[in-house]
Amino acid sequence: LADGVAVLPAPQNLSVHSANMKHLLTWSPVVVPGEIIYYSVEYQGEYEILYLSHLWIPSHWCSSTKGPQCDITDDITATVQYNLRVRATLGSQTSAWSTLEHPFNRNSTILTPPKIKVTKDGFHLVIELEDLGPQFEFYVVYWRNEPGAKEHVQVVKSGGIPVHLETMEPGARYCMKAQTFVKAIERHSAFSQAECIEVQGDAL
Amino acid sequence: GQEFRFGHCRVQGVELQKLRKAFWTVKDTVQAQDHNTSVRLLRKEILQNVSDAESCYFIRSLLKFYLKTVFKNYYNKTTELQILRSFSTLTNNFIVIISKLQPSEENEMFSIIESAHRQFLHFQGAFKQLDTDAALTKAIGEMDILLTWMEKYYQ
Amino acid sequence: MKNVLQWNPPEGLTGVEVIYTVQYFIYGEKKWLGKPECKNISRTYCDLSPETSDYEHQYYAKVMAIWKTNCSKWAETGRFYPYLETQIGPPAVALTIDETSMSIVLTAPEKWKRNPEERSISMQQIYPTLKYNVSVYNTKTNRTWLQCVTNHSLVLPWLEPDTLYCIRVQALIPGPPRLSPPSEKQCVTTLKDQTSAMK
Repeated sequence: LADGVAVLPAPQNLSVHSANMKHLLTWSPVVVPGEIIYYSVEYQGEYEILYLSHLWIPSHWCSSTKGPQCDITDDITATVQYNLRVRATLGSQTSAWSTLEHPFNRNSTILTPPKIKVTKDGFHLVIELEDLGPQFEFYVVYWRNEPGAKEHVQVVKSGGIPVHLETMEPGARYCMKAQTFVKAIERHSAFSQAECIEVQGDAL
Repeated sequence: GQEFRFGHCRVQGVELQKLRKAFWTVKDTVQAQDHNTSVRLLRKEILQNVSDAESCYFIRSLLKFYLKTVFKNYYNKTTELQILRSFSTLTNNFIVIISKLQPSEENEMFSIIESAHRQFLHFQGAFKQLDTDAALTKAIGEMDILLTWMEKYYQ
Repeated sequence: MKNVLQWNPPEGLTGVEVIYTVQYFIYGEKKWLGKPECKNISRTYCDLSPETSDYEHQYYAKVMAIWKTNCSKWAETGRFYPYLETQIGPPAVALTIDETSMSIVLTAPEKWKRNPEERSISMQQIYPTLKYNVSVYNTKTNRTWLQCVTNHSLVLPWLEPDTLYCIRVQALIPGPPRLSPPSEKQCVTTLKDQTSAMK
């Protein structure tokens, strides 16, 4: 209570979980029995911090949200430090702002190996990679499954569509693995498991 | 992945498409506020006179000016959410670009630096001849010209 | 880069003979300019391609409606930037085929020009990073795969003999990304397998 007026507590335990360039801000919910609490999220990037420290920008998706979490992916649009804050609202009552303890930078996101699907169309080796969004490119490494075979690398610009990789020779067995590369943060994931496929027909 | 190559300066980690999209959402709003259409700050001849070697120095001066003068003052003129969000994308990515521009300051670069600075002064001179608010609006409205010029160095 | 100004007739004047006059303006210049072929016209479009052919400039255009002794206010466009706002057409696609491979040669569309004698400028020259999305459909396996191509030709080796393949190609240019409509579907059948043909 403040001067006898019930004060809404500020949300606590703010943290950001980020994987494959999807960033989720979470916090501990404010509980008032029998009431629905709404939350507002705001952010400021390095520019705002440096030049306009008074300026906070309402989050794209969470200017008034019920859940104790917010997808801030569309707010984090540069590889710089971002401050984030949340406050709770119940009717006319609003809590104080609660600010993320450490600024968030998207270059800390976790990058997982991509799922790959290998098919063949006649002698053509075709790969389809997991669609992770426009920020992702893929480095695909493929080789003929025989001793001393040379590895080839091809960059695949987007996931979700079958892409021609190689023309195979009859009777050969080809293997491949892939990793993601995110140019916005200049980092790549670990490689996926290798997958192999064989081409029917007599070897030449 | 793609990167900017301004002369010998390399800049990775900036998605030009995102900057384009950010400006494109506010282009009509901002350009409609520019009533002084007989003045173009980023004139064709200024941009054509910047050589490849000068491009790193030129873009550094220009982006610094945009961050410290143009955006900083224009922000106070707007509370429109979409503009704030678009500007946040543009300004924070400009900070990334500037932080990665490492032009060499060796002596033999002096004439190149001088020449690049002259082109920037042409821009700044035209900016200063206008009333402040009009100049801010015009400079922001010409971001499509700036981004198109930058795209020529995006490989 | 064929830039045509279009407009709707004023509301509430159906059945009245309305004529229009068009002017255009180069951003950064001083004066509005008229186009004689678009002065006192009854159609509702005006081809401003010659006037806006320098795609690195930006332009405005405006139209006034005139009926009897009245004339409207000018209706003005926003700032038009041909380099970023033009759409691109599909490339020309030439296929040659043999028993098990197909070669595809792509030619970028040309920039609009005033007359056939004028020197042609390829859109590739204007957009050096122009790319093509080649889609290859194998009618026998009912499978389609894509290939992104940055130069003009592509060879697809080791196709299946005696199989109908269909090709469609789209051009992609930078700026706000613009994808052309797909080229006409072209289908070719690979030759029969000569070895089995001789058995």
